[in-house]
Formats: sequence, structure tokens, C-alpha cells
Amino acid sequence: MLVLILSFAFFIFALVKRNFLYVGFFLQVAYIITRGFELGRLPLVGPHDTLLFLSASLIAFSIAFSTVLKHDSRFSSGIAIVAAVFTVCALISKQHNSPLPPVLKTMWFEAHVVLAFLSYALFGIAAILGYLYLQKPDNHIEGVQYRAILIGYCLFTLSIIFGGIWAYLAWGTYWLWTPKELWTSILWLFYGLYLHARLRQWWMGKPLAYLGIAGFAVVLFTYLGVSLLMKSSHSF
Amino acid sequence: MIKFFNKTIELFLSVRTAIWLFNLILAMFLAGALIMPGRKEFQSIHATTMFEWLKEQPFGITWWLWGLIVIFSVLAINTVFCSIDSLIKKQKVTRWLILLAPQIIHTGFLFILLAHLLSALGSFQEYAVVRKGSILKIKNTGKTLRVQDIHILSDHSGHITDWSVNIEYLLNGEIFHKDTIKPNKPSLEMGFNVNVKDIRMAPHKTALLQISKDPGAVWALFGSLLFIVGIVTLIALKIKLER
Repeated sequence: MLVLILSFAFFIFALVKRNFLYVGFFLQVAYIITRGFELGRLPLVGPHDTLLFLSASLIAFSIAFSTVLKHDSRFSSGIAIVAAVFTVCALISKQHNSPLPPVLKTMWFEAHVVLAFLSYALFGIAAILGYLYLQKPDNHIEGVQYRAILIGYCLFTLSIIFGGIWAYLAWGTYWLWTPKELWTSILWLFYGLYLHARLRQWWMGKPLAYLGIAGFAVVLFTYLGVSLLMKSSHSF
Repeated sequence: MIKFFNKTIELFLSVRTAIWLFNLILAMFLAGALIMPGRKEFQSIHATTMFEWLKEQPFGITWWLWGLIVIFSVLAINTVFCSIDSLIKKQKVTRWLILLAPQIIHTGFLFILLAHLLSALGSFQEYAVVRKGSILKIKNTGKTLRVQDIHILSDHSGHITDWSVNIEYLLNGEIFHKDTIKPNKPSLEMGFNVNVKDIRMAPHKTALLQISKDPGAVWALFGSLLFIVGIVTLIALKIKLER
């Protein structure tokens, strides 16, 4: 836990000096790896582990995007704030240390969860870029936001496919009509709307930036809201 | 009449129509997300085919599902029209993969819709609590299934760590196939998916066996693969063009 508190502190320092973001990132990755060895599996069950994975994925992707954005300090500050918030939420969340039920011991589950969180991280980056665009409209930022969403959409679709295959093998159908699936459909269609809206001139600029931000709100509700508030196979 | 026909064609050829339909679908899903958790009727949604289930339920709680069926149908027509139009308009484009990738995505999407339609028309699930020696009839096949044995492994704290159920398929009293069901490894026989929904150790070793059929599953997989091939091609081409 001390490692996580330290990583949180480094994310705050990163608001002043960007390089601290990477120190916090390495601490978090070290924590995730150690936990994985302790548990003997991928630590991706429950809000504690998934929030940390989301935070680390967000920073990992931001390294690539920083280069494209010519190391814009506003972008790294945005990433640091979001990573710090996720780390605090992970710190106050309960760890899931009990052994996994047999149905979760499959590579379909692991691939489904990993891809979902990698896509969430890209949607988070897109939301930060949307915010930056609203602060200072720049077509380059809008283009980078589109790339983040397109790649995120691809990973999210793959995650849904793996989830569907897993559901068919585990429960006999690829579609279970649970609240999580309903919200996943909402999320998938929302970003589908974004990708189509970009083809129309009217949506270019601020409307797309707002869509990118709103999309991440839907991500957070689909991930945390549905899992915490509603009963389904995805409940925490 | 011709004017009306042209207007209708124009409407279906427009991306703006697709955007409106996306918004309407999102609104229907949001309504469903609010209605569904509070109504116990939705717990029986898998008990019969979805269309049969829809007919039996009050319209007050299923209107959003009917709405989704209608809007998705219109979106499917819109998708076909836009894809054909795009192929006709851009046939002189030299980078044909750039032209084809979005159409592959669209085709995948249409197959996914077809899969959901087939599942809604023909899927079913049956359940039975079974023990060693239990015999079940498989719907419309004249064949039976016998549970040969149930194995359960648990750790010191009583958590089930692994299990397996050995089964035999019989025709006219003769065994014609044997199989073992494990976690994430159902028995797939004659288009049926036989899996274990729940398993108990005490007071006797029992399993909640599910026999299901989902005619849309194969098409959903095919459509998903097309969709992902299209989107990966599109991303790769965009990266290549930028370089």
C-alpha cells in the first residue's frame, strides 16, 4: 500500500515536473506485477486491481501520445490528475484476494478484461484531449483524439468478442441480457456515433470534443456504476 | 410518386440518417437500462425464444425492445444503401483497401444483427438439477443424456477449485457418444450446448445442467471477425497513409 501512496504522491508532483509521472507509473507497474505473483494470476478482479490497471494503462498509452502532442504539459497534467484520482479510488477499495471461481480461470476472461481496460484507458485519453481542445481549439488535438478513439474502439470490440465467446462456453449463450451488457452496448454504440459524426462537417470541432468527454462518463458508469450498483455477472 | 421515392432513397443514403438512428438507439437502450433492473419479468427472458417472450409480456415494459427492433431494421437498410453508394461513387479510387475496409466493417455489423435476429427467433434454454445416474431427454431429437459421474475439487476453506461432469449420449438405449463438461468447456453435440450453470457438494453432489441452443452464435462470431478485420485494416491503412 505504501507503494501506491508513493505513486499517488508522484502523480501530484508530476503537475510541476512531468518526469515524476513516469516514476509513479513504474511504482504502480511494480505493485501490479508483485500482486500478480502473490495471487498466482492476473490481478484483474475487483475495483482495487482494475483501477490500478486502468491508471497504469492510461499512463502507458500517454507516453506514445505525448510524442505526437510534442510533450504538451497540459496533456501530462491531465493524465497525472486522472491517474491520481484512480489511485486514490484503488486505495480505498477492497482487495479481492480469494481464489478465483473455476469459470474465471480461462484466457478468454483474461483477454476480455485486459482489452476492456486498455480501451477504457484510450477513451480516457480521448476525454482529456477533448477537454484540451475546448480550452484551446486545435485541429491537431482533434485528430489525435480521433486516433485514440478509433484504436480504443477496436480494442473494445475485441473485448466484447472475447467476452461473447467466453459467455457461450461458460453459460451457453453469447448474449445474457444483463445490465452490464446493456451498458456495454450503449458504450459501443456511443463511440460508433462518434466515428460516424466525424464524417459530418456540422459535428467537427467542439461537438466532437464534447462527445469524447461524454463518452468517458459513459465508460466510468459502465465500469464502476453498473458493477457497483446493479446485479450481474460483472458485479464487484 | 417518383419524387417521394427519390426522397426516401436520399434519406437512406445519408450519414445524417445513420447519426439520427444511432441517437434513437441510444435513447432506447437508456430507457431499457432504466426499466430492466427493476422488473422481475426480465429474469425469464431466456426461458423461451425472445420473440415468444416479447409477445407474452406487457408492452409497457417491452416497448423499448420493440423500438430497438424497428430502429435496428432501418439502420440495417441505411447501412446497405450507404455501403453500395460508397462502392459506386468511389470505384475509381486506386487504394481499394481504403474503400473496402469500412464496407467490411458494415458487413460484419449486418451479420451481428442477423445473429441477434436468429437468436431471438430460435434460441432456447432448459435446466435440470442432476445427480450421478440422472437421465434427460434432449428436445426434438429422440436422444437422451445420462450423467455418468460428478467430480468436485475444493480447497481447505471449502471453495470449489475445479469440477467435471462426465456424460453419455444415448439413442435407443445405446451409448453413441461420451463427453466431459468442465468449466468453460461445454459439451457441444448436435447443435446443442450442454453446460453446468451451478454445482454443489452437499448434501449430495448435484449440478444444475443447462441444455441450450443458440442459432445466432456462429453468425455473431463470423460477423465479429469481419468487423474486426475491417477495423484493423482501416487503422493500419490510416497509419500507413500518415507515414
